[in-house]
Amino acid sequence: MADVEFNGETFPVDEDGFIMDFNLWSKNWVQHVKQEEGIDEMSEEHWKVIDILQDYYKKNGIAPMVRVLSKLTKFKLKHIYELFPSGPGKGACKMAGLPKPTGCV
Amino acid sequence: MSKRKKLKINDISKDTEKLSTVETKDLMPLPADFEEKEWADLPEETKEKWACILDDVNMLQIPKPKTVEEEEELVNKFIVGMRKLFTKEDNWTFLPMLETTMEHCAKCNTCSEACHLFEATGGNEMYRPSYRTEIFRRIYKKYVKKEPFSKWRNGDIDLNWKTVARLGELAYRCNICRRCAQTCPIGADNALVAREIRKIFSQELGMTTPELHEKGSMMQLKTGSSTQMTKNVVKDNVEFIDEDFSEEFEYEFETPWDVEGADILLIHNAGEIMAWPENIAAFGIIFQAAGLSWTMSSELAAYDSVNYGVFYDDVQFARTAILHAQAAKKLGVKKIVLGECGHAHKALTVIADRVLPEALKVPRESCFPILRDIVMSGKIKFDPERNNFPVTLHDPCNITRLMGIIKPQREIVHKLCPQFREMTPNGPFNYCCGGGSGFAIMSRNNIPEWRFKVTGRKKLEQMLNAFSDSRGPDIPKYVCAPCSNCKGQIRDIFERYELLEKERMTYSGLVELIVNAMVDVKPGFIKWDEE
Repeated sequence: MADVEFNGETFPVDEDGFIMDFNLWSKNWVQHVKQEEGIDEMSEEHWKVIDILQDYYKKNGIAPMVRVLSKLTKFKLKHIYELFPSGPGKGACKMAGLPKPTGCV
Repeated sequence: MSKRKKLKINDISKDTEKLSTVETKDLMPLPADFEEKEWADLPEETKEKWACILDDVNMLQIPKPKTVEEEEELVNKFIVGMRKLFTKEDNWTFLPMLETTMEHCAKCNTCSEACHLFEATGGNEMYRPSYRTEIFRRIYKKYVKKEPFSKWRNGDIDLNWKTVARLGELAYRCNICRRCAQTCPIGADNALVAREIRKIFSQELGMTTPELHEKGSMMQLKTGSSTQMTKNVVKDNVEFIDEDFSEEFEYEFETPWDVEGADILLIHNAGEIMAWPENIAAFGIIFQAAGLSWTMSSELAAYDSVNYGVFYDDVQFARTAILHAQAAKKLGVKKIVLGECGHAHKALTVIADRVLPEALKVPRESCFPILRDIVMSGKIKFDPERNNFPVTLHDPCNITRLMGIIKPQREIVHKLCPQFREMTPNGPFNYCCGGGSGFAIMSRNNIPEWRFKVTGRKKLEQMLNAFSDSRGPDIPKYVCAPCSNCKGQIRDIFERYELLEKERMTYSGLVELIVNAMVDVKPGFIKWDEE
């Protein structure tokens, strides 16, 4: 619907601010969401969450359950919330370029 | 709402920017002080693309007409669709109820007092349940039924594209909780009218909300679930839940898949698997402990009980209901049992009767009487002390008001929860959580804020009042809301008003309370904090 511009790159986003096409994801997108989320500095732990989310999404076409994410990253859920203040869906998945989860979730 | 200028029926057709707005000062007061935000402006792209002429929210995506021809097309197609609603062949499902509502409303306005939206907005005319219906009725009488002298007999209406677009959007300002229909002395059903208007827009004009259609019912038909979990993903996820919870709570259980000839095919709302896995685990634990013969199915759509057609489209509804019934037939189960999802109850146990052919009429039941029988049977040992915190019960509209399943849940909480207290009113007279009819899964533009201020306000008041003896952050409290949609709405209300932090309130379903009290399960199934 709308476009988000960051560092000269343009990302089409849906009305919830999620990137419309996973293939357009780039580091500039991460910087954009980082700002939105109010994350000061991207740590290795942030990147670990993003990598795992993207791997899982490429394999399964959907984001993992939060408990699965917690198991795969070995981070407790509480810690994932510390890393991404908006939570695994609105924060981490959005940053990883995954679409907004659908259905009654 | 401005008290000086009361909204009239014919304002719906006027060439104004918007019809109405809900002002903060008019909102129904709550038993606690919460800061309310003013409406944000709708995003520019939204205003450019869709007709946003009703109020401060946009749900239904009606492309803004750019030419006079497009304006006329919108009106003409709407009338064609309305005509179909009043044709037996096209609308055998709901025509008698619709006709009753069209012909016999006495304009007594008893319905208004019953509506939580009307009350929450301080009596904004736009939310009077009969406002939408009266516009619809006048159009019907004048342009479809063509009653002689309709203008004088029924009141006139100016039919232009704004009338149509506003009426469409207004169909998404109702939770379809049917509290108004319940109170109507004649049996008129204003909620039905809201859904029938949604049907015209979807079935005739191809205009819907993305959450319910493209990303909802279409996804379910394509991938098997509105969550987009395919057969393999759902089986992986449930296997993970079985193992993870077995380990954490030291109680071995396993969900059976595709067992031919099982007594029960259990169908969950698949959103539970993704967002509330403890609900799936709790069902697995209870059914196993009770020694039931049951199974889940990995057939397309048969592992997701949602049927979003129930909110907006009879064709999408029928497509999904048939898949559910076919899966049960294929396995040869004795019956389908629905997990904790109110809309699935409405869809598969009530409305499906009107669309399923005889050969597919498998017995379909709610989980609640079965759970009651298990809890009362003495097969499982409970320690109610584990549930010794204030508990109240939210009644999902489709399970209580629509189906009359009132006592089973109560027998369970009375047995297992020493500090259980009712909300007022409750049972069949409950109030909707505010997420009903699809809103709980929508978060575009001002929709969340609207769900808090308007639709969820009465429920928030009820929940706070139920805990008036135990307010504050020191006493943990539990709202039992046995419905995925209600849980989504209540979760968002809790987050918005910081009720976990300020009131130590949490929410979850009924099966979680049962398992939390099971002696053979490690204590602590219900948690107040993320770990």
